[in-house]
Amino acid sequence: MTYLIDILLIALGAALINNFIFYYFVGICPFIGVSRRVEMAFGMGCAVTFVMTIAAAISWTMTRFVLMPGAPLTQWIAGWWLDPQTAAGVDLSILSYIVYIFAIAASVQFVEMYLRRFFPLLYRSFGVFLPLITTNCAILFACLTIMSRLVGVDDPAARWDLGQALVLAIFGGLGFTLAIVIMAGIREELEACDVPTPFRGAPIALIVGGILAMAFMGFTGVDNGLKTALTPPAVVAQAPPTEPPSGAPTP
Amino acid sequence: MIIWVTIGLSVTAMGILAVFFTAVLGWANRAFHVPVDPRIEACVEALPGANCGGCGFVGCREYAAAVVCDAEPVDRCVVGGQACAEALAAIMGVDPTPSLPYRPVVHCGAHTADRLLRAPYHGEPTCAAANLVNGVQGCTYGCLGFGDCQRACQFDAIHVIDGLATVDYTRCVGCGACARACPRNIITMAPFKAERILAVACSNKDSGKDVQRVCKVGCIGCKTCQRTCSLFTVKDNLPSIDYDAYCPDDLGDAIRAMEKCPRHRIVVVGKPSAKDLAALGDEALPDVVTPDFKTTVDDTEWRG
Amino acid sequence: MSTPSAGQRFIRGILPENPVYRQMLGLCATLAVTNNLKSAVTMGAAVLFVLVCANLMVSLIRHLLTPHLRIVIFTLTIATFVTVADRLLAAFLYPMSKALGPYIPLIIVNCIIICRCEVCAAKQGPLTAVADALGQSIGFTLALVSLAAVREILGTGMWFGFRVLPAAWPDWVIMVLPPGAFLTFGLLLGLTNWISAQRAGKEEA
Repeated sequence: MTYLIDILLIALGAALINNFIFYYFVGICPFIGVSRRVEMAFGMGCAVTFVMTIAAAISWTMTRFVLMPGAPLTQWIAGWWLDPQTAAGVDLSILSYIVYIFAIAASVQFVEMYLRRFFPLLYRSFGVFLPLITTNCAILFACLTIMSRLVGVDDPAARWDLGQALVLAIFGGLGFTLAIVIMAGIREELEACDVPTPFRGAPIALIVGGILAMAFMGFTGVDNGLKTALTPPAVVAQAPPTEPPSGAPTP
Repeated sequence: MIIWVTIGLSVTAMGILAVFFTAVLGWANRAFHVPVDPRIEACVEALPGANCGGCGFVGCREYAAAVVCDAEPVDRCVVGGQACAEALAAIMGVDPTPSLPYRPVVHCGAHTADRLLRAPYHGEPTCAAANLVNGVQGCTYGCLGFGDCQRACQFDAIHVIDGLATVDYTRCVGCGACARACPRNIITMAPFKAERILAVACSNKDSGKDVQRVCKVGCIGCKTCQRTCSLFTVKDNLPSIDYDAYCPDDLGDAIRAMEKCPRHRIVVVGKPSAKDLAALGDEALPDVVTPDFKTTVDDTEWRG
Repeated sequence: MSTPSAGQRFIRGILPENPVYRQMLGLCATLAVTNNLKSAVTMGAAVLFVLVCANLMVSLIRHLLTPHLRIVIFTLTIATFVTVADRLLAAFLYPMSKALGPYIPLIIVNCIIICRCEVCAAKQGPLTAVADALGQSIGFTLALVSLAAVREILGTGMWFGFRVLPAAWPDWVIMVLPPGAFLTFGLLLGLTNWISAQRAGKEEA
């Protein structure tokens, strides 16, 4: 039960409360660049969600078994030369950034080839976005979030398992899609508006983004409310959104 | 010792990862290989690459793929025209069929002064928006003149001149973007069997009396043309030309019908004729002191 | 067009081709770390380090690059230097490293660096590449500082944590929250466009 609540909170947090675009500002480039047409934005969002899920799975596996301090595979191999106490000091986490970006690049390539062969229709609808995704901050950000829940967490029970990592990736991707689709819808309407010349294009898009971010701030605190509401298992009620906290969160 | 083990393990880990991904991608490249017909690339090369959508496909690449895979006719590209059709036919090894160039015809002939009951309109200045509003002008069929077609054109070939969309046939490539953009559907794509063809420059289907109330030049549905020439059929108070039977070399009756039309709604459209060009040339000469009004563009048959 | 010299590259990066205001690159970092001046300056310094090293490295190996492996090599080079920068920050400026969190590793996918490697370093010599890197990262830092200065003073009434506005200033908390980043950047971008349009108009007149 607690596990399910945890999953629910991760999903809600990734998709709405701490939306990748409006809270963490990752994936802003496609947000400004691609979000001109709703269909294109949706295609981009689907592609990002897809790759994010695969990259999350790879990076979780790599971090859990090879990269984090005390990872079983590394310990086992290091144990061949070192005594167990010294071997515990072997830490490959410096490699993590390189491994993640490598995994993302490779999985983007793989997904592109796979789709092209087996799902030509899908490839036609979002294949053009795939090469752009390699340098999409949102995907690396998902990998880094997963890493931060594994490396440096002392309590083994608090470390994320594969399920939690995948939920973060899928719902984070859905939140990203939601954000750029909303933005594309607004920008289609903006085309017909009389915007002052210096603000045409990116500036007005950013200001609209700001207003949307304010709207998404309304979700702040929903997670805590839900948690308190759900923790006594008998009470299942929708908690009202609480007021956003007055202090600034450190992004 | 520990530092060497760490370095060694890092190198090994990265090495294994590199080998693993290389192997997977190399295998995928072989296993998921999609045979791409080299003729598609050749066709894409032959096409102009304007991606205008005039062929009915999303872009040049899609049309090329359709030509190669689905045996689409090679003469669909309106921008490239005959030369492009021949190039595609050579790649595909088929005989090029002579393709008729389709060009837009604006079925309205009323300039601002000819339109009656026009009300001031302060809404969004597009035809699509104005078309939704009742009473922008008396005629509910004719050109609104806000230039949706002009904005749709990638080739700068259609302009709103004195409130009426006017095609510049010297620039037009026939992609049909203007016809798709017009909310009143008064632009149609007509087969130009010659450089200049006859066309009906009105779209109003109301009875003669109603037309006279809203337009100084609109067709009143008098059927004179139908009686004079078999090419014309009047339906719903509006003549249409049977372009299938249209023969540019034998237009005797049609010319007579054009002359007889009391509202001069049957016009010749197309590239400016030698006469027009001569007239324009004369006009441009600075040393013509007494201009001959007979030779200005307005007085010629070219009203399109 | 002839290839620009080292000096031209340096000057261009700062204002005429400013990576943030003109090229709209590296926006994640721009928006995320500008809620106070301290983190903006740290971020600028980290980007400067990574960009200079990556540009120099790519420029040195530019004759060995093959077209379709180019981007992967750039990314891996950048990732290496980002790891170095990350460890340096964690060793010497631990609180800052904590505050910047994932945005230091996100420099890897910061488009500015890949773009500079591609445009300049892969084609020109080491000296030009370093000058270009310095120019671009100074331009980037200036943009971050301009944004952070507005946000911090309106949001908290302080600069670098020292009170500038009187204590009676009602802190516009929204400015240091995520929406403030979007709004400030949108308005500043509009302002830059307006100023450059004015200057272009004057030159014509």
